[in-house]
Amino acid sequence: MPSTKEIRGRIKAVKNTGQITRAMQLVAASKMKRAQDDAISSRPYAMLLAEILESVADQETEFHHPLLEGREINKRGILVISSDKGLCGGLNANLFKEIVKIKEPVAYVSIGRKATQFLSRTHRDLRADFSLSDKVAYHEIRGVVEFMLQLYYDGEIDTIEVLHSRFVNTLAQEPALVRLAPMDQLREQLDRLRKREKLELAETSADEREFLFEPSAAKILHELPNLFIKEEILHMALESKASEHSARMVAMKAATDNSKNLVDDLTLDYNKARQAAITQEIVEIAAAAAQ
Amino acid sequence: MPLTLEIVTPEGKAYTGEVDDVVLPTANGEVDILPGHQPMLTIIEPGEIQATTGGSREYLAVDKGFARIQNDVVSVLSDGAINVQEIDLNFVEDARARAEDALAKARAEGHDPAMIEQLESVARFAMTQLLVKSKKH
Repeated sequence: MPSTKEIRGRIKAVKNTGQITRAMQLVAASKMKRAQDDAISSRPYAMLLAEILESVADQETEFHHPLLEGREINKRGILVISSDKGLCGGLNANLFKEIVKIKEPVAYVSIGRKATQFLSRTHRDLRADFSLSDKVAYHEIRGVVEFMLQLYYDGEIDTIEVLHSRFVNTLAQEPALVRLAPMDQLREQLDRLRKREKLELAETSADEREFLFEPSAAKILHELPNLFIKEEILHMALESKASEHSARMVAMKAATDNSKNLVDDLTLDYNKARQAAITQEIVEIAAAAAQ
Repeated sequence: MPLTLEIVTPEGKAYTGEVDDVVLPTANGEVDILPGHQPMLTIIEPGEIQATTGGSREYLAVDKGFARIQNDVVSVLSDGAINVQEIDLNFVEDARARAEDALAKARAEGHDPAMIEQLESVARFAMTQLLVKSKKH
């Protein structure tokens, strides 16, 4: 049995750890709230953009845009969005399990240190590594999107896919692989988006009259697909952030609870050891007096 | 039947409301939209949106974007939007000066394009706000 001094030392250490995990839990909780709000506030923009894209693509069938045309898939391009830091439960491990299942050949691009580490350690074809600040801003996404589009236009990759942690609720996040390009199944993509956003725009019923495009449909269509991909990647990055902070909050809550239990157990051990020592002393004194 | 005007930016909805008519700054010049307008998609240039409701006028500064008119709903998709009443001239002037300083420095030192784009958009939107505000009111 360890001495009372050793047990006291351990109780102190566990208490300190508990305080740290509790602080981390609180920080994660406040960041989670913000990340969720950010993710929600960008929704109407995503929806309107998708609807505009749909109306142009419906009307203008002549126009060709490399992102809108299907092509033979030789090499997939996958963007993996992970967290920079650990201590967030199984969040990143779940993403990596998905990566292991993906069949080669794939070119990877990563956001977040954990993904970069995993991809380089497992000797996968990692093309670039980007990082985002905690407050994911619109312009931060630009580098990633331009890089992937360039690879796509050059024919280096034939799809643009994103693997991220989908935010289900505070307790549950799941890895999700979403294909953004080529947009040959634009309709399906938009339906998926509509389901996700549950429509928050002013209702418009169908209008039979012909659409007018100014200055021209081609000019409008030229910019839209890129903007759409940028917006979608931004949304997924925001969602990943929300997932990360939720996962961390839950993991840190579990750690805080564990440390409390541990302190209780150790206190019991400490009292037992203390009593044993006192009993021992009394027995020794009594034995000495009897002689 | 009045028009429904909504202005949507990446940060959220900047404006929603019923208006009698609205003037949009498009790539082809200013376009006045009245109820019953033909469905239209157009490119928005940085400038001001004028919304008239029962004789009173509202001015909103917008950044570049797109607009869709369908069934008397005018949806404007823009990188940024602000009501002219809320524009604080000193604040905007400061923001513009700072952005242009940083931009000049960044160009000289060759910073990354994402940063430059962000600064450019700050400077452009601040400039639009200044122009719109100084024109009247």
